Amino acid sequence: MKYLPGVLSCPFLLAILFSSSFAVADDMTQREREFFEEKIRPVLVKHCYECHSVKSENMDSDYSLDTRMGIRSAGSSGEIAIVPGDPKNSPLLRALNYEDLEMPPDEKLPASVIADFEKWIKMGAPDPRDGDPFKMRKELEKKKSATLWSLNPPEFKGLPRVKNKKWSQHPVDRFVLAQMERHRLHPVGDASAEALLRRVYFDLIGLPPSPEQVEAFTKNPTSEAYTKVVDELLSSPHFGERWGRHWLDLARYAESSGMEFNFTYPHAWPYRDYVIAAFNKDKPYDRFLTEQLAGDLLEAKDQKEREENLLATGFLAIGPKRHNASGTEFKYDLADDQIKTVTKTFLGLTVACARCHDHKFDPIPTKDYYALGSIFQSTKTLYGTKTIKYSNHPSPLIPFGENAVELNKKYLAHLEKINKLNKEVKAADGLRLKLENMDEKKQDKKAIAEAKAKIEKLKKQIKELEKNAPKQPKYAMGVAEGKAIDLTVAVGGNPSTRGEKAPRGFLSAVPVKQTPTIASNSCGRLELAKWMTDPGNPLVSRVMVNRIWQHLFGIGIVPTPNNFGTIGKPPTHPELLDFLAITFMENKWSVKKMIRMLVLSRTYRLSTVDDEANRLIDPQNVYLWKATARRLEAEAIRDAILAVSGELDLTPAEGSTVTPIGQKLARDVPYEKLNPPSKKRSVYLPIVRNYEPHIFQEFDFASSSLVVGQRATTTTAKQALFFLNNDFILAQSEATAKLLMKQAPQDVDARIRLAYLRALSRQPSTDEIAHVKQYLEQAEKDLAKAEPDAAKRRLRALASFVQVIFSSAEFRYLIQPPQQKQTTILTRK
Amino acid sequence: MSKPVQQNSSGHSVSRRQAIKGIGAGLGCLAASSFGLNVQAGTTLGSLGDAPAPHFPPKAKRVIFLFMRGGPSQMDTFDYKPALNKSDGKEFDKKKKTKLFGSPWKFKQRQESGLWISELHPYLAQCADDLCLIRSMKTDSSAHPRAIPLLHTGSFAFVRPSIGSWIVYGLGSENRDLPGFITINPTRVFGGPANFGSAFLPSSYSGTRIGWEGESLKNAKFSNVSNKKVPRSLQQEQMKLLRSMNGQYITPEAQGVMDSFELGMRMQDVAPNVMDISQESKETLEQYGIGESTTDNFGRQCLLARRFVEAGVRFIELGHGSWDHHKDIKKGLPDKCRQTDKPMAGLLKDLKQRGLLEDTLVVWGGEFGRLPTLEFGSGRGHNADGFTFWMAGGGVKGGYSHGETDEFGRRSVIDPVHLYDLQATILHLLGLDHKKLVYRYGGRDFRLTDIHGEVVHKIVS
Repeated sequence: MKYLPGVLSCPFLLAILFSSSFAVADDMTQREREFFEEKIRPVLVKHCYECHSVKSENMDSDYSLDTRMGIRSAGSSGEIAIVPGDPKNSPLLRALNYEDLEMPPDEKLPASVIADFEKWIKMGAPDPRDGDPFKMRKELEKKKSATLWSLNPPEFKGLPRVKNKKWSQHPVDRFVLAQMERHRLHPVGDASAEALLRRVYFDLIGLPPSPEQVEAFTKNPTSEAYTKVVDELLSSPHFGERWGRHWLDLARYAESSGMEFNFTYPHAWPYRDYVIAAFNKDKPYDRFLTEQLAGDLLEAKDQKEREENLLATGFLAIGPKRHNASGTEFKYDLADDQIKTVTKTFLGLTVACARCHDHKFDPIPTKDYYALGSIFQSTKTLYGTKTIKYSNHPSPLIPFGENAVELNKKYLAHLEKINKLNKEVKAADGLRLKLENMDEKKQDKKAIAEAKAKIEKLKKQIKELEKNAPKQPKYAMGVAEGKAIDLTVAVGGNPSTRGEKAPRGFLSAVPVKQTPTIASNSCGRLELAKWMTDPGNPLVSRVMVNRIWQHLFGIGIVPTPNNFGTIGKPPTHPELLDFLAITFMENKWSVKKMIRMLVLSRTYRLSTVDDEANRLIDPQNVYLWKATARRLEAEAIRDAILAVSGELDLTPAEGSTVTPIGQKLARDVPYEKLNPPSKKRSVYLPIVRNYEPHIFQEFDFASSSLVVGQRATTTTAKQALFFLNNDFILAQSEATAKLLMKQAPQDVDARIRLAYLRALSRQPSTDEIAHVKQYLEQAEKDLAKAEPDAAKRRLRALASFVQVIFSSAEFRYLIQPPQQKQTTILTRK
Repeated sequence: MSKPVQQNSSGHSVSRRQAIKGIGAGLGCLAASSFGLNVQAGTTLGSLGDAPAPHFPPKAKRVIFLFMRGGPSQMDTFDYKPALNKSDGKEFDKKKKTKLFGSPWKFKQRQESGLWISELHPYLAQCADDLCLIRSMKTDSSAHPRAIPLLHTGSFAFVRPSIGSWIVYGLGSENRDLPGFITINPTRVFGGPANFGSAFLPSSYSGTRIGWEGESLKNAKFSNVSNKKVPRSLQQEQMKLLRSMNGQYITPEAQGVMDSFELGMRMQDVAPNVMDISQESKETLEQYGIGESTTDNFGRQCLLARRFVEAGVRFIELGHGSWDHHKDIKKGLPDKCRQTDKPMAGLLKDLKQRGLLEDTLVVWGGEFGRLPTLEFGSGRGHNADGFTFWMAGGGVKGGYSHGETDEFGRRSVIDPVHLYDLQATILHLLGLDHKKLVYRYGGRDFRLTDIHGEVVHKIVS
């Protein structure tokens, strides 16, 4: 079978291989030239060039016949189209005759014309048209790629002029308003204080504000108070838990190998913690990138920094893997996962398309893909699986923590001891079997008994050893430098078909100020990181600010966050994107500063209310005339529910519950063991591929096997059923009810108010209170039979009301409550 | 809030439906698509803006896929090879030292069509005139871990959506109360859930699972369709309160949430009913072999499939294993056939009797077939180059046999049908062009059949 499904047969490459022999210009007689110009060229131009010229846009095959070299190269069959002097063996003629291929496809050419071609080929197919189609195509592509907007360096041409000078002078707002005005749109009013506070809490830390925080801010919703809130949230340890999770979507973070055999990865979690900490300490993004690509190669000032650098490289090791694959396949697939993840995440390019053929839309040749492949195949990936059934490629891990090296040494020695004893058991058992299999009469009963006793003794020793196992260090996944190698292009994605050399290198189409050179003995990862963070690299900064924007506004300025290529969508506000990209770099790649700037803009603070005039012009809100009502992600929904009930455990998890499971096939471990009950924040729940927590699966969690830049938002009946009947929701509703009873034991109104404040971050209206009271009375009546105890009945009724709040659109969406007034707070300059 | 607010805060009087229509994510879309699905993410928009519909008039509206995990032996069931039987014990491959292994079971021509079917399927043989045998199947791998994801998703090297997800994505659901794609007792191994996962399609397109392979279905149920804390009458009150809370918003988001709850409430009633087979007649239960120890479980799977079909589920997969008979095939294969034969025949007859077979496509097969040679002295090894699938109903010729393997059943030689061709054909029967059923993800359009697949027109009735 083929090495890869989806491999295109690649006539283009054949064309390259064969065409060189025809590169020399033929000598032509005057008569031959005339014949060609009169009889052949006009036919080619009229009937063939549309699909078969270098310039042709809609080429179905890579066969071009507008040069001598091209027309004599191989067609899609892989055969050379013309054998000069031999019409019979020239597939071109067969195609004209409609013998196998039918060309031109619309209508067969007249017999006389075909006869001309036959004659022409017999003459030796004289052809004055010089040029190398391969080179010409490359040049054209280069020209085209120059027009790919994302490869041009970001430019700041000054803030745009706006008519409405009063609305805001914040630079972000200037760009946004200019686009609005261009499209005859106007900004809606500002969000209410409550809605704004809720929005910024969820956006920055993924949790709702407490009732006290709501009350404090709504009493005094000034610009200063808002800025203070923003600064507090940015310095909260929960910021990293929120924004780190966004990053983990891209890093396809998971704690198992996925694919057809799905081995748990007990030591993936240190990468998770690294990411959370990195966002919390506002690690400069260029440094963050560098550590993940090449942390192991960085100088460190102390052991702590050294460890942090190492843990970062987990990024390269946690991808899905087919541990059962053959050696070559495994190596290439591993590098493919790394290339895919690195390029999509940092560059917003789909480089992995070039594994089998030159990228169809973007200027990425296979050679560039394998140049990156050389870098990653010069790297040792430490994913830490042992050889067991279906797992063929063992690898060590990175020990870390206090005394890690020493502890690891002791632990490995301990394992070795057990290993040795196990071997002895095996030997003794072999002996026993041999003895027992002898004729019964000849059996040496004593020897058998001795063997058995020996086995028993050894087993006891092993047990004893296992009981007194030395303390293990913590382990992490990551990478280390391997032997530096240079691959050749694997033609059609098949490593056994070797193409040109592809030495360790970068993407040729992406311009940088200074392309680093890779030393002959270096794997090239550090240089790759340098190349990416080069101030001239037009992609890295743009891609990241676009991601930040997307998480705050619902949709990116480039709506396809992982694809800044030809087939991605162009930016809706190109000047704004460039401004942000430049600002990001000028602010030393500070993610927090970028977020701060964006959430202080008036655009961010807009209300979600509708405006008919605007809607008729821009129904999708592309130009941001209002805030988009965004749904909370699975994690935020779960965390918010636990926060409302007061049961949320805000202390970070220590390690992962997958660690004690060890390396197992996930299918052999019950769901309950893979996902034990937890009240921790969702970012700390175990992510075993294909066995993620149910609530995650219901609410569009990112597929943990793919690089996800943007999650889907679906609304399904299954989600409704989850809110109606799931044990978690019922238990949390009850816990919330208990808390409300405790905090307001005498007063129903106070309980309702508190419920609204905790769950929806706002006070209920008097109408709402009345309505809920009515509901509670009815609910208690309804429960009369089911629950004879009055106090319990009251609690159950209250819990059923809390369940309704959890189920509501207002709980799930960051949306402006309709009866609230907008609050205009002064805009900072 | 005794008077629910029906205007938005700016006070202009746009009707709720108008507002929703303007954004194109309202009830119409919700009801027509999968399982009340309503997609809003940027990358996935566009392809789902309109209610999904077939590309051309379909022959079948839904599919029941009987997945026989492990690779059923074709030359012992549906691919009659007299030459193989004559050459029993003769050397086949000198290098590998393999010997031919004639089928221990007798074949007969069945019904009017005269299809050859072995004695291992006495019940199914009575449905021969409805069967369309494809005896020239091929796939790309003879290893379970690759072949199973290949069969389900078209790929083993990458994470791709399952065929059921593609179909529901392409056609939407036929019903409003149940999922569009249900898998009963799927295998946990070789990809497990990935075989009914939606990969880059929104997760609502993934299959809803009931049970795992080998589990009893007696107490199987959908999750989250009932609870002990809130009586139904109170739930109705909850809905009223929820309606008035959500009713304050004139937004598609709030409308979508409310609609999803209306659907969920209905599903709560419908789902347990569909699962409850106690109202089925004694004759029906007997027809499926329910109550007989050998056939009870697969009989239940088949009966549930019919009930799901009636309820408008688009794609139903029934898992059964293991057909991986490397050894002891003389005992193992008849066991597996006995467990499934009567239930499958019962299903076909029942569907036919109810007029459902015409637009329901039933597909039977494994990830590959088996070799004509002897393995371990008593079984057969894997064969990816020649094996049999059968289809029945929805637009395929009945009593028809397509394609042939060589004289021993080793390789498909006449009209070979590759796995991708099979997938293309299933989509075709459903009115979907496998080349047009695409989804843009990460920079390119993906399809189930990747760059492969030819529709097998000869089997279309």
